[in-house]
Amino acid sequence: MRLFRRMTIRQKEALQGYMFVSPWIFGFIVFTAGPLLFSLYAAFTNYDITSRMDFVGAANFRRLFTLDPLFATSVYNTLYYVVFSVPLRTACGVLLAVMLNQGVMFRRVLRTVYYMPSVLSGVAVYLLWMQLLSPSSGLINMLLEMVGIQGPAWLFDPRWTKPALILMNLWGVGGTMLLYLANLQSVPSQLYEAAEIDGASILQRFFRITLPMITPVIFFNVVTGFIGAFQIFQEAYVMSTDKGGPLNSLLFYNLYLWKQAFEQFNMGYASAMAWLLFVAVMIITLLNLHFSKKWVYYEGGE
Amino acid sequence: MNRKLVSLLVVLLTLSALLLSTAVSAQDKVEIEFWTFWGSETRRPIIEKIVDDFNKSQDRIVVKHVYSPWGDIWTKTLAAVAAGNPPQVVVNDINNVGLRASKKQAMDLTPFIDDVEEFSSQFFPELWKTVEWEGGIYGVPFNTDTRFFFWNKDHFAEVGLDPEKPPTTWAELEEYALKLDKIHGNRIERLGFYPLFGNFGRDTWMIVGDNGVSWLDDEGNPRINTENKVATLEWLIKWRDRIGARNVDAFQAEFGSQAADPFISGKLSMMVNIATHYTQIRDYGQHLNVGYAPVPEREPGTGHWSWGGGFVLEIPYGAKHAEEAFEFIKYACGPEAQRYWAVMNFDNVANIEGSYLAAEDPRLTPEAREVYELAVENMQWTIMTPVPHNLAGYLDLINPQLDAAMLGVKSAREALDQAQRDVEEFIRNAQQ
Repeated sequence: MRLFRRMTIRQKEALQGYMFVSPWIFGFIVFTAGPLLFSLYAAFTNYDITSRMDFVGAANFRRLFTLDPLFATSVYNTLYYVVFSVPLRTACGVLLAVMLNQGVMFRRVLRTVYYMPSVLSGVAVYLLWMQLLSPSSGLINMLLEMVGIQGPAWLFDPRWTKPALILMNLWGVGGTMLLYLANLQSVPSQLYEAAEIDGASILQRFFRITLPMITPVIFFNVVTGFIGAFQIFQEAYVMSTDKGGPLNSLLFYNLYLWKQAFEQFNMGYASAMAWLLFVAVMIITLLNLHFSKKWVYYEGGE
Repeated sequence: MNRKLVSLLVVLLTLSALLLSTAVSAQDKVEIEFWTFWGSETRRPIIEKIVDDFNKSQDRIVVKHVYSPWGDIWTKTLAAVAAGNPPQVVVNDINNVGLRASKKQAMDLTPFIDDVEEFSSQFFPELWKTVEWEGGIYGVPFNTDTRFFFWNKDHFAEVGLDPEKPPTTWAELEEYALKLDKIHGNRIERLGFYPLFGNFGRDTWMIVGDNGVSWLDDEGNPRINTENKVATLEWLIKWRDRIGARNVDAFQAEFGSQAADPFISGKLSMMVNIATHYTQIRDYGQHLNVGYAPVPEREPGTGHWSWGGGFVLEIPYGAKHAEEAFEFIKYACGPEAQRYWAVMNFDNVANIEGSYLAAEDPRLTPEAREVYELAVENMQWTIMTPVPHNLAGYLDLINPQLDAAMLGVKSAREALDQAQRDVEEFIRNAQQ
């Protein structure tokens, strides 16, 4: 008590602050940092949850790179998804936002409609999409047939499974669209007016004004998009045959990790995979940050 | 005064004795938690009746049934085992008992069994094999399933086949199928037979085609690219090519369950399905004349093999009151409880006596009794494919190769050769 009285106001406030956040600090240490460090250690053991936890050095990592053909498959599948999904989602999000920022009819209704899918929850949506993607009676192939295209077997043809998921996930682009939309409204209109007086075309205005002005939000979406895309799991867990099929074409990194951890109980191995993914995503994020200086424009400096 | 004191003492003594006895009896009753994923409207009352019957049959143990959804139950159990406070009895998958035993997730039940030979003789031997691991017993088989041949007698009569004579070999199967097909160009109105419709997969046909040998032989050696298996995969591809993959997909897309089941709606004349599928025919296909027989064999004498899965009752490692838990397992896997489960669910059960009792049970109709008896008899052909504890996940190497062959990316031989090599390497790595 005496100690407390001798403190300056600043120190007191700091102490009070720590007290207020202490539940969070406790939760972070016990439920986040603790398990995180535990899994880091587990990555170097043969941990199987119930019977053993012996230190095995880098054996898990050696096995991943030299002995496990499914690891390479899962990395390929995941990269495929990331490479196509992130740019597509970004482009579609921006385009949609720009279109709905114009004075189109039913603007409010359309904004709601496009945002709606982001509100719906995962598994139910995936089941719905499995019906939409059904090869002969699904709505998508029926529409394609109307314009004379014989649609693929989507989820049953290994060449089309990943494109099917990429297209499906475009459906949920409304969430990012909303961010762009909010950002678009804050682009000062005098910029457009000045450009119009100077005779800039619509395309010029888009590429010279709109796009640079919303690069901070694009950057944010690209970074979170990368992180999210690398973690694709639920879609494949629900929609693939035999959890990853056909032909292991939907065996994504996290699905394989999950199978190792909870079907085969190789928790040490799975932890090694998790840390590898963490490091990879970290590197990509740092690269993103580094290159962002070249293309992200912050109004009023950084 | 004295007398008052004495009577007071007597009252006090009796009171305390009463209190003591209730306390003792409460202490005596051991509570057991029993986790299952049987929460559906049909299954829940059945398992709860079995629990209830057990609780009434004695006054020492109280079993409490806890339902946990299919997607959660085993992760939950795993977490509970790791935390050292698991439930006493859990229903688990019959194919991975060895894996769980090796990981110390399940308890060795040998100490609770007086005479293992006598105890195990109650169950179908193929099922009992799944619960043994390195000299211990890590579960007791509860229920299982088996697959056999269904045919539509009216369709047979319509095309001039003897309705009482099902095909017994693959050659006859193909011959009959061609007669029963009604295909107009690319549109299929009715299909005589397609091996992968019903409930029989590629890997199960491999067992039939290879004289009852699954991917691994009894010693755990891979037997994937055998001549018989290559021929069987080619046979499956031949069916697909004859009808056309796209037509098969389109036809299959119209399938549903109950009244929309292809066999019940008359779109399919013959199929291989699980015995329990009879209940759908009973409930939605009263208009049909259906025959039931073992799976046709590849050639005369190669055997009417079939395949089954199922569930075992286990005591998770570290559970308290294991002895009492085993008492309950003994009851639930005993003839009476098994008979009840069999009759109410029309499921195959693990207990032999219970199975035969069910086949004669007056609660079933004469027709149902006949079908059930066939299901019990079919157990002699039914192969179980438990995964060796150190080969968990090996099917992930075979399934993609089967996909590749069925999609025409590889020939049957190439695909199975590759699978054989992959699994051999997997085994070598597992042994390191």
